[in-house]
Amino acid sequence: MAAFKIKKKRLKELIDSLTKEYRVFIPVESDGVSSFKEVTSDSHLPTINSHNTDRPPKEIFFPQTETLFTYKEGKISPPEQPNTKYRTPNTDKIAIFGASPCDVKSFSLLDRLFGMERNVAKCSGYKDAYWINRRTNALIFTIGCNYPLSTCFCNWLNGGPFTKEGSDLLLTDIGEDFLVEPCSQNGEEFIKTKGLPIQKAAKVDIKRASTVRKEAESTLSEPVDITSLKEGLDTLWDNPVWNEIAYKCLSCAACSYLCPTCYCFDIQDERAGNARGKRIRVWDSCMFSLFTKEASGHNPRPSSKERMRQRIMHKFNYFVENLGDFGCVGCGRCIRSCPVNMDIREVINTIKNVKLTISNEK
Amino acid sequence: MMRSLENELKECARKLLTEKKVDLIIGYSKSPLPLRSTPCFIREEKDVDSLIFDLTCSNNLATYLQKSKCAEHRKPNTDPTVRMENRCKIGIIAKACDARSIVQLILEKQVKKEDITVIGIACTGILDLKKVSDRLNGKEILNYNPQDDEVLFEGKDFKKALKLSDILCDSCKTCLNPDPSVYDSFIGEPVSGAKTEKQEPMTELENLSFGERWEYFEHEISKCIRCYACRNACPLCYCEECVVDRTNPQWFGKSTEFSDTFTFHITRMLDTAGRCVGCGACIRACPTHVDLAPLGIKIEKEIKERFGYTAGLSLDATPPMATFNEDDKEEFIM
Ligand code: SF4
Ligand code: SF4
Ligand code: SF4
Ligand code: SF4
Ligand code: SF4
Repeated sequence: MAAFKIKKKRLKELIDSLTKEYRVFIPVESDGVSSFKEVTSDSHLPTINSHNTDRPPKEIFFPQTETLFTYKEGKISPPEQPNTKYRTPNTDKIAIFGASPCDVKSFSLLDRLFGMERNVAKCSGYKDAYWINRRTNALIFTIGCNYPLSTCFCNWLNGGPFTKEGSDLLLTDIGEDFLVEPCSQNGEEFIKTKGLPIQKAAKVDIKRASTVRKEAESTLSEPVDITSLKEGLDTLWDNPVWNEIAYKCLSCAACSYLCPTCYCFDIQDERAGNARGKRIRVWDSCMFSLFTKEASGHNPRPSSKERMRQRIMHKFNYFVENLGDFGCVGCGRCIRSCPVNMDIREVINTIKNVKLTISNEK
Repeated sequence: MMRSLENELKECARKLLTEKKVDLIIGYSKSPLPLRSTPCFIREEKDVDSLIFDLTCSNNLATYLQKSKCAEHRKPNTDPTVRMENRCKIGIIAKACDARSIVQLILEKQVKKEDITVIGIACTGILDLKKVSDRLNGKEILNYNPQDDEVLFEGKDFKKALKLSDILCDSCKTCLNPDPSVYDSFIGEPVSGAKTEKQEPMTELENLSFGERWEYFEHEISKCIRCYACRNACPLCYCEECVVDRTNPQWFGKSTEFSDTFTFHITRMLDTAGRCVGCGACIRACPTHVDLAPLGIKIEKEIKERFGYTAGLSLDATPPMATFNEDDKEEFIM
């Protein structure tokens, strides 16, 4: 595929031209927390930190709180004032500029779950109108990671700081310019738009990009082989190791709410007077004790042990079983945000070691 | 200096375990991240060497003493039918503020003094990672090195020393009781006598107009994603069923609409009124840096003025919410 480049100085022009057709989301830092915000007329350039944002961009397609419909005296209507933050799902096309490769991979993982048509062997079979409406025609500009963080481990999970899965265009920081590579049909189409502030990349640009990539990849830690993790987990349901792992966990949702691939939600009816109200969908987390509490009062996952097991099983076993890939992209957010410093890499290693001990004993 | 403190700590822990005074020690150990430590649970002498204590020991470990967050093998402690001698005896490492919260837990009958051995530790403050990150423009820190009143931070392409007093948590800078109020063993030298830069807690909130106060609440609370890390990290949020988790009836909306989030925070502030020890664990736990400390400080001050009580300073005190005094001010009761 042909490669292009854009001067960093002209990024703003590119983003401005995008806003004519798209609602554009860019990484912005505010009060020490970076997240994706919609470009408004007084926005500045995106905060390009060359690592992923504190809050993942999943909330663009899957907001924390979403009104599904409102009801009034037996009549149901679509949300009038849907999401103050993310407006009507199906009226606008969304462009995301500056997501990291791991986050973009998370979109394609959630596509399998929420039923976007994609050519994958495994998908859930369920179609989620809200996700699909926002995702359809979304244009994703990924920026590769020149400087991965010490918490990044995308390379354990079939990813890497410059992988393209889920991207429409991949940008690589090569100094004064970004190398721009279209990597989907939408990306190819977009690059043909008249008047874009881009030009064809020269051989040296492409060479520079490949050096940058090699350097970045070499700074990631040696990947741990997790090819048989799923099978390993199949045998560990009753293992006491879960106690050991979960002991310090506080059962909050910092890890899952900031995880790009966690998608559990709750449905709630909010009454606003007699026979009036709305039905909303809000994020939920398997780490909360309330998550599985039944009406009788019984809770099949009464302690952090069962909840931690669920989180790990879901990501590294059920997800593989049902959707054909690990439900973790190695972004490292859960490691950075956990109040007691649970490190999912250590968890993976602990599990691997238990598995080894068991098979050695046999 | 840190090293010898740690040695003293390890020795103390080893002794408690060998003499079978405790079954379990709750402390801190190194974490894979350079500026963090992680809670650890030590049952055997051989693991004692993993204990550390330094500027990164930010968790309030007293949260692990609670019933509602009780992990499996501490269950016997919360079961009234289990005899005293069969209960798990816990040694817990406590900074001054953590010790205060342990006192509160004992006063509030959440734990029994007999079950707990408090290993008080001299603490001169904990790093505020947000302050560090702000001063280093968010660059990733790979190594740090404390030196007297400075800390040297290193990353991929930088080295920078920051003044310790600029990067300590607010709660540490304003800590008025830097030595544990209650302990069975004490590690290090008492801090109170030492030269410190403690200041009266700021009560900046009082100087704001109503409009400005509201703005401040709106700003802080709208950052909240309702992950409840603050609540769960707090040693004094121990209700077996938190009111926000009630489903029948359901008192709280679950969304991140401002009114829902606001109600959660205000309720938590009121629930911890007169009990909060200002340890700041909730603030450090928050992934989005929601900081309502000024309100907490204001409440603490109010309680002190009205009831002459400061949480967690003495095992003989009666918490104001557990008693009634004819002279209590009640000008707001019709
Ligand atoms: S963020 Fe940490 S403490 Fe909270 S649920 Fe996740 S692992 Fe447990
Ligand atoms: S589990 Fe952790 S590392 Fe994996 S995708 Fe989620 S937040 Fe990122
Ligand atoms: S995990 Fe990989 S893709 Fe994600 S930010 Fe880090 S280096 Fe980039
Ligand atoms: S509310 Fe915060 S400062 Fe107060 S005791 Fe709980 S964790 Fe500590
Ligand atoms: S830890 Fe922070 S984001 Fe989470 S519920 Fe508490 S204030 Fe909100």
